[in-house]
Amino acid sequence: MTTATAAPSRLHPRARRVVGIAVHTWNQVGQQAKFYALTVRSIPDAVIHHRVEVVRLFAQMGLGVGALAVIGGTIVIVGFLTLSTGSLLAVQAYSQLQQIGVDALAGFTSAYLNVRLIAPLTAGVGLAATIGAGATAQLGAMRISEEIDALEVMGIRTVAFLASSRVLAGVLVVIPLYCVAVLMAFLATRFGTTFVYGQSTGVYDHYFNTFLNPVDLIWSFLQALSMAIVVMLVHTYYGFTATGGPAGVGEAVGRAVRTSLIAAVLVTVFVSLAIYGQSGNLNLAG
Amino acid sequence: MTLHAAAKPLRSFGDFFAMCLDTFVLMFRPPWAWREFLLQTWFVARVALFPTVMLAIPFTVLATFTVNILLVEIGAADFSGTGAALGAVTQIGPVVTVLVIAGAGATAMCADLGARTIREELDALRVLGINPIQALVVPRVLAATLVSFLLASMVTIVGIVGGFLFSVFYQHVTPGAFAAGLTLLVKTPQVIVCLLKAVIFGLAAGLIACFKGISVGGGPQGVGNAVNETVVFTFVALLVINVIATAVAVQATQ
Repeated sequence: MTTATAAPSRLHPRARRVVGIAVHTWNQVGQQAKFYALTVRSIPDAVIHHRVEVVRLFAQMGLGVGALAVIGGTIVIVGFLTLSTGSLLAVQAYSQLQQIGVDALAGFTSAYLNVRLIAPLTAGVGLAATIGAGATAQLGAMRISEEIDALEVMGIRTVAFLASSRVLAGVLVVIPLYCVAVLMAFLATRFGTTFVYGQSTGVYDHYFNTFLNPVDLIWSFLQALSMAIVVMLVHTYYGFTATGGPAGVGEAVGRAVRTSLIAAVLVTVFVSLAIYGQSGNLNLAG
Repeated sequence: MTLHAAAKPLRSFGDFFAMCLDTFVLMFRPPWAWREFLLQTWFVARVALFPTVMLAIPFTVLATFTVNILLVEIGAADFSGTGAALGAVTQIGPVVTVLVIAGAGATAMCADLGARTIREELDALRVLGINPIQALVVPRVLAATLVSFLLASMVTIVGIVGGFLFSVFYQHVTPGAFAAGLTLLVKTPQVIVCLLKAVIFGLAAGLIACFKGISVGGGPQGVGNAVNETVVFTFVALLVINVIATAVAVQATQ
């Protein structure tokens, strides 16, 4: 405090402050990019030296920790999320289609919208909330109790050991996770349309099977994988750099969730624009 | 012992409902924490505003893009406004709002309350004769509800404008046809339902965040886990409420 009052005041304090904040933000972007590059570069390191850790994290991410494990872990949560968005599609699409008299196409909306839009977005949100936020909370707790510093003192490459292994485990865990998610979305829409709204299963299955495009499913998988990479990178960064005690960890989780949601959705937009292009790669005539 | 462990999730469920009941009762009982309410409202609005806009744009662009592909294919590109309005008002508006309220506001609330809980500040309040539910939880829950209500309208506007720009400049839909199609399926009841949904979501997010915050245990690691659980439970609650609310709304507005 004394040094601040003793120093002579400078010219243009407000402009200086604005520039200072801008420079700080810019530098932070650079530091994040550097961290991401280092994490991705260290993935081979994690595969070679920390294989056990990756497998352990893989199991932990699939099943969850604490209260989340009690209700069935990440797989159940993400499956449940897509289950509810799938039934949402049944509720919303069926009633709108009924208004214009083409409710037979409910199976088509499931095969089209679930694959391209709803399952990837819901899975992305679920990933950020479950394994992403969990990783930030874990790493943040390690950082504030100085466990990460202790690892560094012991000569362990912390980025490879903690961050790269989590990114790798996250990407691995997405593969079974997304299968469950897509299946749940399909099942929920089918159940809602045929059982609750009373469409005949034959009509539903006919339009569903006619318009389900296997190639689209593979692209949808790619979307989920790219989202998992982005989500895990963002969340490990915020956990790795958490400061300010227990409340700081909580705030880091919040910041990480917000950033990774935006990043994941943006990635999905760009990936779908890149995959489907302007024409949309849709052939309704068959 | 096993019975005790098995009853634990059930017990925390009961605790949650007890806290909700306390909150609703104390909401109408003086003294009312005005200052805390204003501070929290401003705080939630400040942390949520920018992410909301940033999340609303890609969400609508993606929805408009996917729906427009279909509409162009069946020769009904003129109705892209209808699709955009339907998506933005009925689903994206409330859902994006609460994703941000949960991701930005509720996590910060939970972290703040959790840190206070493990520093035993809530116990200190109780010793002073102040009910922490009344002083801390009620204003936070109401702040989350109010901000979510206000943000939902902004998300809807951003969504429709984003859908307009994307359809017109990228997919070459006629601007007049887009504007004309906006009100085809979406009318006043749908807008009211959108705002109501946002209010319910905000309320649920605030309640879950505060409950997780005041029931933190297990030191610093506990706060991180509590925030993580807040995010997960809010998202799950949001989607379940959304299905029910949509089913009710579709029946009611038809």
